[in-house]
Amino acid sequence: MADAAVEVTGLVKRYGRGSAARTALAGLDLTVYRGEVFGYLGPNGAGKTTTIRLLLDLIRPTAGSVRVLGDSPRHAASTRARIGYLAGDFVVSGGQTSRELLTYLGRLRGGVPAARIAALAERLDLDLSRRIGTLSKGNRQKVGIVQAFMHTPDLLVLDEPTSGLDPFLQQRFVELVQEARDNGQTVFMSSHVLSEVQATCERVGIIREGRLETVAKVEELREQAQRRIEITFADVVPAAEFESVAGLHGVTVGPHPGGGSALRAVLSGSPDELVKTAARYRVTGLLAEEPDLEELFFTFYEREGRS
Amino acid sequence: MTVLLKHLRDNRRAFGGWAVAITAVATMYAAFWPVFGHNADLGRAMEAFPQSMKEAFHLTDYSTASGYFGSTVFGLLVPILVAVFAISAGVRAIAGDENAGTLDLVLAHPVTRTRLALARYAATVLAIVAVGVLTLVVMLAIRIPADFAELSPGDLTAVCVMLTLFGVCFASIGFGLGAYTGRRTIALGGAAYLAVATYLCSSFLPQIKGLGWVRWCSPFAWYLDGDPLTHGVNWVYAGLLAAVSLYFAALGVWQFRRRDLTS
Repeated sequence: MADAAVEVTGLVKRYGRGSAARTALAGLDLTVYRGEVFGYLGPNGAGKTTTIRLLLDLIRPTAGSVRVLGDSPRHAASTRARIGYLAGDFVVSGGQTSRELLTYLGRLRGGVPAARIAALAERLDLDLSRRIGTLSKGNRQKVGIVQAFMHTPDLLVLDEPTSGLDPFLQQRFVELVQEARDNGQTVFMSSHVLSEVQATCERVGIIREGRLETVAKVEELREQAQRRIEITFADVVPAAEFESVAGLHGVTVGPHPGGGSALRAVLSGSPDELVKTAARYRVTGLLAEEPDLEELFFTFYEREGRS
Repeated sequence: MTVLLKHLRDNRRAFGGWAVAITAVATMYAAFWPVFGHNADLGRAMEAFPQSMKEAFHLTDYSTASGYFGSTVFGLLVPILVAVFAISAGVRAIAGDENAGTLDLVLAHPVTRTRLALARYAATVLAIVAVGVLTLVVMLAIRIPADFAELSPGDLTAVCVMLTLFGVCFASIGFGLGAYTGRRTIALGGAAYLAVATYLCSSFLPQIKGLGWVRWCSPFAWYLDGDPLTHGVNWVYAGLLAAVSLYFAALGVWQFRRRDLTS
């Protein structure tokens, strides 16, 4: 298909031989269209990184076919000039400065203007003149992000891109992805962080045990999301009133150490009705946990299984 | 070219350090020549050693400059140091980087496996050549002050050429094993094992009756058996060193193109 940036059919990857063989991918089918931001989700060990390394020809498929930007990764090294890749464990030797590394990588791609590198580094608050060995994990990850984005590639392949970044930088990263999307670039990213997936992706694929379990729109995923909620009140509130709120389960009301009471529950779907109900009382604290993606996958699988 | 220069630049400290250390050892040995060359007692003491021991330790003749330099400066410590350096540089070229996890990034760029492997191999060979050239330059510089002018620049060049080829041979073994397996420990272990085994083949094992032929299988023997300090470069031995180098390098590159990168 002409408008597919990534097209994977019947992809099988086994590591090792004989009795020690381990199947990482067991017949994966996946299509990512040009210009979309595609989230690639799944538990650890599901085969996300294996898929990504296959797209870049770092490893070779046992069976099945892969096409990236219209070419087979194995036979078109030049295609990789149009790909930006950020590994899940981005490691580079520490003896060089970020500027040296980025200039070198840019040269391998046929040259990236120094001004472009400087502009990206400034946005991420990265000091290019420091040796990479002296940088913190978060700062090294910034180097990884700069090298993936700096040549404005047609396709970005990002493996857990925001690991090690603080929330401020996660936000900067989300902006970079949104700009790439507005620019017509395709983004394929694996992630564990639901908020960044929600902020950037249109579609997500969920992989489990080496197979694509389902592809869904991000909104569908959000509706399924379960958040742990804790609201503290100045006074004691009746649990029964909250039990009738739509989407709220497992309501408990107990005494709060600081006085008053604390309501704990699990919320799925819209928080609107809960907020309105709580507003009838004096609220002293509100905590909504980020939904756990792993948990989310399993509720999603169950629902898919039933329907 | 970009990949080659980058590899040299990334390893400039290690490569430079080894080059200086090896040259310093060679210079130190050479500086002792006036002591040995003018000491007849020492010569007689050496003659008393059994022939097989003299052969095992390259202690053939300390009374001439070519004998002394062939046994000490270029005979023992320098080739061993060169072999150690060459193996570590060869293994580092692919397997070292691969196990450190830093190879993925470069190969995710528009760089083919072949291009990367050949550029890294060329950089490694250049580092070995630099060691040979530096040693030669220092030997030529101290030839007259250290009183071994009887060794002509041509003789010294010949031995340094053989030393360089010998280094390239072990670098290629380390490189080839590393590129083939992608495992640093296997490559280091395998190349070190070969170095020790072939050293024994050139020194102790031939002393055993009926095992004289094993000398023919050793890069250590190919390096000095032609006696380059008096007879110049021996093209048969030079060819053998080059052939083994090419064999290991080619085998490594061939498998490196086909296999998965280790993660």
